[in-house]
Amino acid sequence: MPVRVVESSAPSPAPGQDANPGHALPPACTLLGVGQTFAGTQNVSSSQKDEAWKVNVRIQGFDPAHGYLCGIMEALNVPYAETPVVTFWEGEIIDSKNYTFYTGKWEATPDDDVKHWSQFSSFSPLLSQVKADGGKSLDLSNYPYIFMNSDQLYFPLQRWKEQYFVNVSVDCGLTIAGFYYVCFSCIDGSINGFYYDPNSSPFQKLELKSTNEGRSGFSFSSYQLQ
Amino acid sequence: MPASKTSNRPEELTERLGAGVASVDAGSETLLKVLREVKNQIIGNKTKKLTYLHLGAVPKVVSILVSALDSGDGSTAASLVVQSAAALGSFACGVDAGVQAVLDAGAVTHLTRLLSSPDEKVVDAGARSLRMIFQSKLSPKYDYLQENNMKFLLLLLNSENENVTDLAASIITHSCESSTEQKILCDAGVLERLVTLLEGSLCQRDSSLDSIAAIIRNNSESVSRFVGIDNGKALSCIVELMKDRYPRTRLLACVCLIVIGHASSFYVQEPEIKTKLILILTELLEESGRPGDEAPFALVSLIANKEDLHKQALSVNVVEKLCSFLCQAHIDGKRLQGVLLVLAELCSNLEKCRDQFMSSKVLNVVADALKHDCPNVRIAACTCLTSISRSVKDLLQNLFAGYLAKESIVIPLVLLLQDSSSDVQVAALKAICNIVVDFMARKTIFLQSGCVKQLVQLSKSMDCTLRLNAVWALRNMMFHADKIGKEGILSELTESMLASLICDSEPHVQEQALALVRNLVDGCTDSIERMFVEDGMILNAVARQVRLTSVPEVCIQGMFVLGNVAAGNDAHKEAVMTYFLPPKKDEISSAFITRFLQSTDSLLQTAVIWCIVNLTYPDSPSSSARVSRLRDAGIIAQLKNMINNPCLDVKYRVRTALGQCTIIEQNSS
Repeated sequence: MPVRVVESSAPSPAPGQDANPGHALPPACTLLGVGQTFAGTQNVSSSQKDEAWKVNVRIQGFDPAHGYLCGIMEALNVPYAETPVVTFWEGEIIDSKNYTFYTGKWEATPDDDVKHWSQFSSFSPLLSQVKADGGKSLDLSNYPYIFMNSDQLYFPLQRWKEQYFVNVSVDCGLTIAGFYYVCFSCIDGSINGFYYDPNSSPFQKLELKSTNEGRSGFSFSSYQLQ
Repeated sequence: MPASKTSNRPEELTERLGAGVASVDAGSETLLKVLREVKNQIIGNKTKKLTYLHLGAVPKVVSILVSALDSGDGSTAASLVVQSAAALGSFACGVDAGVQAVLDAGAVTHLTRLLSSPDEKVVDAGARSLRMIFQSKLSPKYDYLQENNMKFLLLLLNSENENVTDLAASIITHSCESSTEQKILCDAGVLERLVTLLEGSLCQRDSSLDSIAAIIRNNSESVSRFVGIDNGKALSCIVELMKDRYPRTRLLACVCLIVIGHASSFYVQEPEIKTKLILILTELLEESGRPGDEAPFALVSLIANKEDLHKQALSVNVVEKLCSFLCQAHIDGKRLQGVLLVLAELCSNLEKCRDQFMSSKVLNVVADALKHDCPNVRIAACTCLTSISRSVKDLLQNLFAGYLAKESIVIPLVLLLQDSSSDVQVAALKAICNIVVDFMARKTIFLQSGCVKQLVQLSKSMDCTLRLNAVWALRNMMFHADKIGKEGILSELTESMLASLICDSEPHVQEQALALVRNLVDGCTDSIERMFVEDGMILNAVARQVRLTSVPEVCIQGMFVLGNVAAGNDAHKEAVMTYFLPPKKDEISSAFITRFLQSTDSLLQTAVIWCIVNLTYPDSPSSSARVSRLRDAGIIAQLKNMINNPCLDVKYRVRTALGQCTIIEQNSS
């Protein structure tokens, strides 16, 4: 979700990603599949006032082999914006194969990483190991509930980085310079995240829940790329 | 003194060739002149060759050859043999009709007689001519399995005459296909001799490299034998030839190394060699003739389905180089096809490659290639678009930027759906399949361009590949389509057509048709209503297919359809319930849910459980009654047994379903 530009912080360059959003493999968690939607809020409170923006998210691509997912994020009640602001984001799933706990970009230091991951209770058992070596020596099979290892996942940890504005121009006065530390619950499809941008308020909390878009139940669509 | 002027018109020359056969001895000098004239006219001139072929010149030249061979050893006779052999070789060079005419006239047997001549010029002429013939795919295979043939081939290969060894190598390249043939040649020591020839003339080196590749292709035993020659010197020699000053030699050495690498990953595994191969083949693109034409195809065979090599190619800027090559002046068909295929391969996996491709602004070149005269170029352009549009990011971004605009890409692609070649049609369908995903729900461009109409037509094709890909494209187009888009697609497709596709004879088509319906009923309840028109024709077809099929993928898509319908209102849920637990005792019907829950396919289990979750959704008025019926049918008990399922998705969906059932039962008690 974009935030209002408060300083002259230019958006960071879009990182290249090796990803193949082919969908030959089914997602390990159906709630994290393409087409799934989520709704909730992002707390953008500052010392001056309490504020939360409504946020909708839709998953558009998912490629577990490359630890990749992507989608659309829609911020609904952005002050001074005439329409909801839609951004395209790409996600890195922390699988210790494609991506590790250490971000190494987007102005995030290892200390920032540990501080943010520590906000998620599922991360607690890994804290000491990650502090020691960034989690490189972790035996993934001991933590099936976190890692996207085979089809065993529970609370996959991810980073979401907004890449571009979909429906407004870059000079709209908003920035997507930061990124999200995200924890997804495969139990109920809830998403918790923290927005990180050294130039914005710290620990802006993102809380989303799986939505049914007015239906009396869960619905699943799919596409398959060639 | 004035003399009568001799005409050089093909008609007259051909007539004089015919007249000369009877007088090889008497008028041989004149005949020699005519032969020379014909030969000079046809060298490098396809039109002239075809003219002479139509005039029936080839059998006449063969007759002259035979007469001259039979007439003795005179020098004029020898010259006639040499000139007629050269003319035949020229007819066989580069024109299929020419090769066929030479073969039909029985020239091979007579030309082979030349090889045993004591006259070196005659031997050279025969060997050169035969080599031309054996370079064509039309010429018959040489049968190594016959002992005499093998002896003769070895005789040729061990000859001191360069043209003869060249011929032997050409015969090997032309006819060595099966592993039995490869083994016979290896056992006869052919590889060792070919390695010796690598140190010979330029021609010998090149034809040896070609033959070595033919003998070791897809054969790890032959590769081991080759690598073992002189303790690996043969392999080192080829690695050296990769850097040769002659482009053709570099290409052939690269091809040999690629073949070795494919047959046995133990050799040619160093990243440095692979990087060199990538770089050399990319540079060869700039060369004229065969090296430049074939280099991209060799590069595709090197990197196909190898993500590590895609990364290596990216690291040495191959995407950038190929794109800038494409932007240069006109590129001939074969080379253009090859370059597009390399780009398609590189962009099939890596987002970084796609980014570079898109930023190089070569999409216009690809768009033009969609309209190329050559079907293979059109296929390559479609394949390239298929790879590029595998990027969700690019699909969104570029659709917005207008790169995949209606005029430049969509309309030419839609036109290709009516191409005379079914291979082109399939390639276009695959590209359309990806492009129509169009995440912004703007499907109108495809409706307006006639794309949907064409796809629906192709989904009725007798060719199951066309049918499959057409339905697949419609399925992707239906993904997240808005109400207008869905209506547009369905009005072209019709409910009855959709019902028949669900029951198609091919399971893959059934699967795509069901996935299409799954996307149709995802969204507002209005879409679900479409399942109930015409007495529930579509829903009946879905339920019937799910009950009867044994293909898991078909069952999964079918169950997701039923699950999406069950996410609708109470009437929708009840309709699904009747398929789950039919009122009349029907063993097949009542058994299928139980059978699916016991499946080893966790996605199928999950799809069934989502359906149960929707049927027992707490907000619906009749959920309590449905829970009771599911309990009575033993489904709830079966779910309880799955509460510790090893698949976490199954496990937690089971818990959701059981949790809902408990709440509903508590509220109703």
